[in-house]
Amino acid sequence: MKISFAKPHLPDQGAIVVGVLENKVFTPTAQALDDLSGGGIKRAVDASKFTGKKDQVLTILAPAGTKVSRVVLVGLGKADSIDAQAAQSFGGTGLAQVLSSGDSQVAVAIDAVPGLKISEADFAANAAFGALLRSYRFDKYFTKEKKEDKPSVKKLAVLTAAPGAKTAFAPLEAIAEGVFLTRDVVSEPANVIYPESLAAQCKTLTELGVEVEILGEKQMKKLGMGSLLGVGQGSDRESQLVVMRWLGAKDKDAQPVAFIGKGVCFDTGGISIKPAGGMEDMKWDMAGAGAVIGAIKALAGRKAKANVVGVVGLVENMPSGNAQRPGDVVTSMSGQTIEVINTDAEGRLVLADALWYTKETYKPKIMVDLATLTGAIIISLGGEHAGLFSNDDKLADKLTKAGTAVGESLWRLPMGDAYDKQLKSDIADMKNVGGREGGSITAAQFLKRFVGDVAWAHLDIAGTAWSKKDTATCAKGATAFGVRLLDRLVADHYED
Amino acid sequence: MVAAESSRLLAAHQPVRVELAKGRPRAQGAELAVLLRGCLSPAWVDLTLSASQAAELAFGLCLRDYRAPQIRFHDDDDAPLPLPDRVVIRCADPAAAQAQWEKRQAVAHGVFLARDLITAPGNLLGPSELAEQAQALSALGVNVEVLNPTEHGLNLLAAVGQASTRPPCLVVLRWNGGAPTERPLVLVGKGITFDTGGISIKPAEHMEEMKGDMGGAAAVLGALKSVALRGAKANVAGVLAIAENMPGSGALRPGDIIRSYKGLNVEVVDTDAEGRLVLADALAWACAHLKPRTLVDAATLTGAVVRTLGRHHAGLYCNRDTLAAKLLKQGKAEDEPLWRLPLAVSCDDDFRSDVADWKNCGWGKVPDNDDAARFLQHFVAASVPWAHLDIAGVSERDEDHAWGPKGAVGFGVRLFDALAGG
Repeated sequence: MKISFAKPHLPDQGAIVVGVLENKVFTPTAQALDDLSGGGIKRAVDASKFTGKKDQVLTILAPAGTKVSRVVLVGLGKADSIDAQAAQSFGGTGLAQVLSSGDSQVAVAIDAVPGLKISEADFAANAAFGALLRSYRFDKYFTKEKKEDKPSVKKLAVLTAAPGAKTAFAPLEAIAEGVFLTRDVVSEPANVIYPESLAAQCKTLTELGVEVEILGEKQMKKLGMGSLLGVGQGSDRESQLVVMRWLGAKDKDAQPVAFIGKGVCFDTGGISIKPAGGMEDMKWDMAGAGAVIGAIKALAGRKAKANVVGVVGLVENMPSGNAQRPGDVVTSMSGQTIEVINTDAEGRLVLADALWYTKETYKPKIMVDLATLTGAIIISLGGEHAGLFSNDDKLADKLTKAGTAVGESLWRLPMGDAYDKQLKSDIADMKNVGGREGGSITAAQFLKRFVGDVAWAHLDIAGTAWSKKDTATCAKGATAFGVRLLDRLVADHYED
Repeated sequence: MVAAESSRLLAAHQPVRVELAKGRPRAQGAELAVLLRGCLSPAWVDLTLSASQAAELAFGLCLRDYRAPQIRFHDDDDAPLPLPDRVVIRCADPAAAQAQWEKRQAVAHGVFLARDLITAPGNLLGPSELAEQAQALSALGVNVEVLNPTEHGLNLLAAVGQASTRPPCLVVLRWNGGAPTERPLVLVGKGITFDTGGISIKPAEHMEEMKGDMGGAAAVLGALKSVALRGAKANVAGVLAIAENMPGSGALRPGDIIRSYKGLNVEVVDTDAEGRLVLADALAWACAHLKPRTLVDAATLTGAVVRTLGRHHAGLYCNRDTLAAKLLKQGKAEDEPLWRLPLAVSCDDDFRSDVADWKNCGWGKVPDNDDAARFLQHFVAASVPWAHLDIAGVSERDEDHAWGPKGAVGFGVRLFDALAGG
């Protein structure tokens, strides 16, 4: 879908999306359309339950007196509640109504209603961003889809008087590119995206000026990454550790910010195998790595003035004649030993070595890891919030705020010695599981043993990485949760 | 540790009087092992003991103070304090006590070997590593032979190990301390170094305990070590059926039919009933090659025996009443208690196959522990006095017990050592 910006006008073909404020208060464009149709729009509104509440929609087909194919009214709520997210939601919701309608063109009218929380340029840019995000569809494997089922919209024009809209949209478009890369790699099945092919995806970021380094099993063995390697040893596919460096700060040697992602490209559970029902979802057990890759793409795409390192541990967790066994004791790169009680608690084993490697190699200012780590977090927080765990209150606060700003909400959960004790092993430094109680917390405690004194946060995104229903800015499927959040964290705190 | 020394009072320390339960000196020693933790060295024990009592006390002390091998980077802050470097046990005849203690210490070393092996995780102790542990006993004068199962027609053993990248083996150990004409006591152990269940894979919860599915082989190895260390005047052989039971592209499938060493065809309906398969070949091989005077096998064989007897008795199955009585008595004396269960012909109905001589187990409400024992009996020559110990419930403990800390018990070593005699 091609996005363009144009001066306000009433189009003479295609669909138009216009806003209506709460209590049926028409925006100027809505009013203009109503005038053209001789009050037809108002009559349609009065005949419906549409009141202009946020994200309500009403589609009116080919109103008389206008030349458009349909008018999509989208509720904006109160003017003073229109922020960047509301603007994205407006654009996304509007586009969703016409995406597969048969129309190939859609215009989105931006009206600078009094009381807006953001500038009109930002309103326009974010509406375009929301529509762009909503337009994403992972459909490459449909070979026989009927034409009428395919999305029809090819062009979207944002109608705005604000001259800065296009400029404001440029960095958002770069972020969307990052989001799309994440959604692509998360959605791909595991026979297509596996450690080496995902590493190859990372390698494509070199086009944007990212330095990409790929470590294979031989190099990891040399580094002593017994924890990560144990997870991948049952698979025919070679484990990989990929480092992506975006050095956008003036001082290329300045301490970087580091993002670490869990990349279990498929998680059968290994010898502690999962039940068959729903196991196909485990293709997205690399969504943490996916988010880190997408975030690096977004940052590089918009040329962020910061040094950022992304590290992803990529493995496939399979049972086989060479697989890791429950009870095995492995030695991590840190020297600490781990008794692997359950081979299905493998994400933390991958992250343990990835975190330690990052800390030792880059001495980062902060480390944030993302992982679809525990089923327990879905029980605790559902799909609305990702779990946030941190050893640093300031970092936790920054992350929470960034999450709220971009609509990727976090909720902080506790850590402490009492939870740490649940990891006690009889023969090694720790077990990889701490029992049923507080499963997400003990997983975080496990990770904490591999971060030293670095300010660190862990985001458990098992509940938020994949959506079973459409939202305003995301069709059901991979959400790319974390990409916008990490980008925002850098933008707010770590750029020159 | 020194068991006995000439009596000499110690001036430096304050004497401490402790209350010990009335009982056998071995049990008192075990009790002392806990009480003496963190005491200054040397610690003196003055209980007016005879030489043999002193040796027994030292034996109990030593067994109870076992520490499992640790694989740690950080020290374990919660580890119990060590015993004093030297514990001096006063007794009437120190020289005699010392001699007797050395024999007892040999047994303790056998027990510790078994415990160490059971504790070792599956990645560090696979089939070849377990075989190497057996070969290490050649330094003590034990003759050790490692056989490739496929080259010797041990097809059941080969089949169980076929999916693992670590190949199975049959290890034969011979201690010839007795008269050359004396037929040996033959001990057979199940040595599944890790049991995932194979294609009939086990549930994830607690599967890590399956690193201990070689507890029978560990007991046999421990017993061989103890008889060799104490130079027993007896002929004892050990046969270890060693394999790793894994799923994989080359794995044994449920329904596969395998021709056993004995020639009987077995339909493998459950790849997780693998212990009886490897033992069937090992027992048949032992009968054919070792001319056993007595044949005893030990195996962590069935979950059903745990439901039947719990954690305090091993199941005993035996084809001779005299042997059963002897084992029950010695088990009691060594505090490795057994409980006899029936070898029932009626079990045959549970594992009759439609397409082969036998299935390896029956499904549903069958007494799987009894069925497994009866299955094994088909592979043992009727002329050989034979006993089968199902130690699945007693091989490990989840809390500290009279003779050691929680974890591997080394069940069977003391019993087998006593049975060997000499």
